[in-house]
Amino acid sequence: MKRSTRKLIIPGTIVALVFALVVLAPVLPLQDVRGMDIPNRFSGPSAAHWLGQDGFGRDVMSRLIWGGRASLFIAVGSALLAAIAGTMLGLLGGYFRGVVELFTVRAVEIILCLPPLLLALLVVAILGAGTWPLILALTILYTPNYTRVVYAATQQVRSLDFVTAQQAMGTHPMKILLRTILPNVLPPLLVQMSLVVASAMVIESGLSFLGLGVVPPTPSWGLMIREARGAMELAPLLLVWPSLALAGTILTFNLLCDRLQSALDPRAITAGGALWLRPRGPKKPLTPLPAPQDAPLLQITDLSIAARDLELVRRVTLSVRPGETMALVGESGSGKTLTGLAMTGLLPDTLRLTGGSALYTRRDGTRIDLATLDEEAMRQLRGDEISMVFQDAAASLNPVLRIGDQVAEAITAHTTLSGEALSARVVALLRQVGIPDPERRLRAYPHELSGGQRQRAMIAVAIAGNPRLLIADEPTTALDPTIQAQILALFAQLRRDTPGMGMIFVTHDLAVVAEIADRVTVMYAGEIVEEGPVAEVFTRPRHPYTAALIASVPESGATRLTAIPGAVPLPHAMPTGCRFAPRCAHATERCRERAPQAASPAPNRITRCLRWEEVT
Amino acid sequence: MTTKMNRRGFLATTGAAAGTLSFLGTKGAFAQDGGTLRFGLSAYPPSFDIWTSSGTAAGTIKMMCHRGLVGYDKDGVMQGELAESWEVSEAGDWTFHLRDALWHDGTPVTAEDVAWTVLEAQKPDSAAYLQGQLASITSVETPDAKTVIMKTAEPQAVLPGWFASYNMCIAKKGSERDSLMGAGPFKLASVDRGVSISVVANPDYYKEGMPKVAGIDAIVYADENLRVAALEAGDVDVVEYVPWQAMAQIDDNAELQLDTTFGPFMYLTFNATKAPFDNPLVRRAIGHAIKREDIAAAAFYERGAPLEHLPIADASEFYNADLANEWSYDPEKAKALLAEAGYPDGFDCTMLSTAQYGMHQSTAEVCQAYLSMIGVNVTLDLPEWSTRVKKGNEGAYDIAVMGTAADNNDPDGLANVVDGALPLSYVRSYGLETPEISALFAKGRASFDTEERKAIYKELEQIAIDTAPIMGLCWREQGYGLAGNVSGFSNMPGQLTFYSGFTLEAAMLG
Amino acid sequence: MLRYIAFRSLVALFLVWIVVTIVFLLLHLIPGDPAELLLSGGNVAADPQAVAAMREKMGLNAPLWQQYLDHMAGVLSGDLGVSFRDGAPVIEQIALRLPRTLEVIIAAALIATGIGVPLGTYAAIRTDGKADAVISLFASAALSTPVFVVGSVVILIFAQQLRWLPAGGFVAFTEDPAEHLKLLLLPAGTVALSLLAVITRMSRASVLEVLQRDYVRTARAKGLPVRAVLRRHVVRNALIPVLTVLGLEMGTLIGGTVLVEFVFNWPGLSGYLVSAVDARDYPEVVGIVMTISVLFVLLNLVVDVVNAALDPRISLGR
Repeated sequence: MKRSTRKLIIPGTIVALVFALVVLAPVLPLQDVRGMDIPNRFSGPSAAHWLGQDGFGRDVMSRLIWGGRASLFIAVGSALLAAIAGTMLGLLGGYFRGVVELFTVRAVEIILCLPPLLLALLVVAILGAGTWPLILALTILYTPNYTRVVYAATQQVRSLDFVTAQQAMGTHPMKILLRTILPNVLPPLLVQMSLVVASAMVIESGLSFLGLGVVPPTPSWGLMIREARGAMELAPLLLVWPSLALAGTILTFNLLCDRLQSALDPRAITAGGALWLRPRGPKKPLTPLPAPQDAPLLQITDLSIAARDLELVRRVTLSVRPGETMALVGESGSGKTLTGLAMTGLLPDTLRLTGGSALYTRRDGTRIDLATLDEEAMRQLRGDEISMVFQDAAASLNPVLRIGDQVAEAITAHTTLSGEALSARVVALLRQVGIPDPERRLRAYPHELSGGQRQRAMIAVAIAGNPRLLIADEPTTALDPTIQAQILALFAQLRRDTPGMGMIFVTHDLAVVAEIADRVTVMYAGEIVEEGPVAEVFTRPRHPYTAALIASVPESGATRLTAIPGAVPLPHAMPTGCRFAPRCAHATERCRERAPQAASPAPNRITRCLRWEEVT
Repeated sequence: MTTKMNRRGFLATTGAAAGTLSFLGTKGAFAQDGGTLRFGLSAYPPSFDIWTSSGTAAGTIKMMCHRGLVGYDKDGVMQGELAESWEVSEAGDWTFHLRDALWHDGTPVTAEDVAWTVLEAQKPDSAAYLQGQLASITSVETPDAKTVIMKTAEPQAVLPGWFASYNMCIAKKGSERDSLMGAGPFKLASVDRGVSISVVANPDYYKEGMPKVAGIDAIVYADENLRVAALEAGDVDVVEYVPWQAMAQIDDNAELQLDTTFGPFMYLTFNATKAPFDNPLVRRAIGHAIKREDIAAAAFYERGAPLEHLPIADASEFYNADLANEWSYDPEKAKALLAEAGYPDGFDCTMLSTAQYGMHQSTAEVCQAYLSMIGVNVTLDLPEWSTRVKKGNEGAYDIAVMGTAADNNDPDGLANVVDGALPLSYVRSYGLETPEISALFAKGRASFDTEERKAIYKELEQIAIDTAPIMGLCWREQGYGLAGNVSGFSNMPGQLTFYSGFTLEAAMLG
Repeated sequence: MLRYIAFRSLVALFLVWIVVTIVFLLLHLIPGDPAELLLSGGNVAADPQAVAAMREKMGLNAPLWQQYLDHMAGVLSGDLGVSFRDGAPVIEQIALRLPRTLEVIIAAALIATGIGVPLGTYAAIRTDGKADAVISLFASAALSTPVFVVGSVVILIFAQQLRWLPAGGFVAFTEDPAEHLKLLLLPAGTVALSLLAVITRMSRASVLEVLQRDYVRTARAKGLPVRAVLRRHVVRNALIPVLTVLGLEMGTLIGGTVLVEFVFNWPGLSGYLVSAVDARDYPEVVGIVMTISVLFVLLNLVVDVVNAALDPRISLGR
């Protein structure tokens, strides 16, 4: 059972219990709700009267149960009736649109403009107080809620393929509505229903409290509260029971509704929050080490990343030298993006580093292990030393802040620049990344820029702090080819302008690699399978996977694309031997049994293949 | 109880002591430095109409701004107000001698104003509370500006009592009926409709040294629980209509005073225009079916007493001990009476009460429970008060719960509740003719002899017991809650409790 | 933008017109004759002749369509008529009552937003932690407890026991500002409580959603301090849906505060509406309903405009 479904059990059980209790009220051995025992009025709980007696000596427990019956009957009854009416109107309006929509959905929305109280008052004035007028009033009141929900859902479902197909086949609209669309709009309807029941109970109790609802001596919770309020100082418990019953039941319904919503809608956020916001333990002391003279900018050794017990990245080792561009290549799911995120401490909350080290050489020449840093230490590095360009600039820029402010923020995070100097720097940055008319564009919001310009702005944000290591996570993937080329040119320009900056360029596109990188690291299923200088790797790949990747690049003159058969294995179903073996044309029994170690076919080169000597 | 005062009250009424009670005003410090009294009203007056009965809250406001020819002192003894003295002639003509009083606008109160008031209020369509009684006044003469002579067809011993009613205030000739411009101790200062009414002391008030406070803010607290809370929180100095469940709590509070009196009573009215309540046997059966102690306990938190006869207090000289328990709780007798009336298995009916006042609803609930035991299945109808009044006036019910006080402590004050000759009203049974009772009331009014009147009212009560034009349920205490520093204000005794607004002129703070 | 607002206002006016028409017709459908109710205020059944005269005076003897047209003509010229009860101009009474109701609602909205947004944000930050559980439970409980229970309890505590605040009532601000604010506190606080629950839940959900957004990661990648990320990127963006909900909730509160007004003796618009319906005071009922629905649609429009101001992606031009 899913966690979200499991969470339904408790409120579901309570609701079921409450329902069972009120439905069974007539057969339960309860005392007469009207039976007065005035000499014993306001008696406390006793063996005969578990919850005591009220101002007329009537048994509070049986009144509570029967009261719940009245309250729930009204609430559930009106919720159901409103659901029926609202669903019909919503279905019709959403399916037929046009005039039908006007007379169903729009007409019903008028009710929303009427004060609910007035509606109840008018209905009670016309029909007199009582259970049925109350149900009618609440039904009218809640119909628009359902209509809106069903209308929205119907519109969504209506445009789906299987509905259009049925329309094309000439199925009667009513049949489509009932057979196809109704089942599809049921989940939001269900959620709406528990919401309405809770809300109807609140209103019912309020009206009964005002004397506009249920007529005594029929008990209802609102009525019991009304009666008990006068004697609040005499017998406070009498106020407590119905209040508890009412609030408790509504609470349970609200809870049920919340959980129903998350169970029915998997997209809804179930857990998460953000671990980075929570202080975790005492601050770890930083232990910078002196770096050797020719230490690389970043030296990752045996780095592993896992989600719970699933290892997603395993023993990755790579290094980046100042001024060097390292391309990290692989299919989606290979762990390349995770490796990049780990270097900035921006891994999703569900993931953590499980081993290895990542030694980073700072401006002052000391080295620190990124794998041991806490959030605050990591934050100080971010933007200043290590920066990141994300894949989807449209989502990665804050939609409600101006571009200029977002760039400025990246500057002020690490400097004390302000005022004129700050805006000058922002303009300079925007100009550097090739945004035309930067003085004016800095006032633009992200949605006002083109895709390419957004990516340029994103790069401006990343380089604002003059980072020494820039991690670019598929920065061109979401763009169309001409823009891609421009952005790549911008990166190339950046390399020329800032010769000391190292860069990790995460991509799945080998063509890009050839254009921009000095070295290339190929990842497959969380492991590095090959590493080496770009030119060498491309001319002579020493791993079957790399070879297959290169073969799959559409080259001019190639007649057809050689796709790699099969798919990347899932983390929980990793092969025991070589992880590429199931898809490898050269795999042997030995490959499937034994995980290959990294081998070095040449200086500066690494491959993780048992048979590299034979097959490449 | 309080009806000890009743006799004195009656003596004053009959004129034996009339005019001799000159007003003893103490020449005190001029009043208007006494601060502002905050009075918690139970409802916003639906109308300020001087002659119609619009409830206690309206009465209280009217008693701040208006005065009648006569009134009552704090012990319930009738005293002169706009009339300094009054006497009755052998022929039964009443002469009132007016004092020098001024209207709020500074003009003097004249005999002409009084005559105009009487003539207006006795018009058939005046909707005046006392229209029926006033109609018996055949002429009003004003020999001079300070003398009014009223002549009646029959001698009316109780006539001055009518002019003590807060629904019979004297208005300046030609003024609007709902004007609060009167000759009373306070002048209207401001009105926030539905919220509050503020009055300030009238410096020209005819009683020297009164009123004692500079003004009164009458603030509406429709919710009885909040009214008590406001008193406890110190938001108001006086509240009317203390809910019964809160009486003990106010009594126990050292910082507050509780002033209660027995007087008002609860009873049932019937719709006699249709079966089954057109049958006196059925009406009596209802009376024998209900255990009154339970109403006193459940609706009035033990601050009530059974009422099993006409509402004449046991301290009154008109009290008939031998009739006191004629409507006592006796379910067997109730069933027998029902069977005799042709309803051995009972019947279904609706009972009108109101959800607005807790004790009306509780009384109805207890009655409902007891009536079900003799096979009478009652459906409650509990609209808000104004609808309940309307339904009562229209007879849109079978049986109704009612609570009120008589007009005064004289048995004639019961006429308004029992006399079927009066116009249709929610305070009386609907369409119930009581020719014998009406005649006896008239006879009682015409007699100036106490012993003779005793006999008349005994006969009347006996007839009432047999025909049950109303059904007594219980007496109730009626209470005012006061802050510790309030003095001078008092709850007037017995049936006069709703006249307590008269004593606001003497109320002091501090 | 202006064109959009003008268009929306037209639609709103149309809606109000329909609502007023419906209410006008419904009122004449409900039993109870205003003239008779007015005249039987005393203890006696109203005199049929007097009732007929009063009906004539009230204009109730004309055909319904004519009454309707007369009334609408009055409304168009800014005249909402006079009360059946005492001849007071309806517009004056509304002008007196409306600010009091708005005051409670606005005070409640301020309290609810001031507390609810930080509370919801904190709960979101501590998702599934103890604080989150406590806050979420509090919000659900606040949402589930009827205002009349809350009202009774706070009066008992703050007025009767502690005597810190008056139990209820109203004093004009111009008369005694301090007392006015003291009196406002309990009703506003009570309304705020349920509003607070809504705002807290909404803030929590909204912050949780925003926290998953890529731009928050970008903000972190800049090396911004946690508080700056929260303030500038998380809360600011999360506020937009919260404010929308707040606006809609406030809309339903206009005319929906009757229980609070009853419990605290606050003379606002809702209580006025109830008494007007009780008395079948048609001009008052129609006037109040019109006021409430105008405010309701106006508020919806304001919500849209504010949304557009806060979120530059939304353009009102369609």
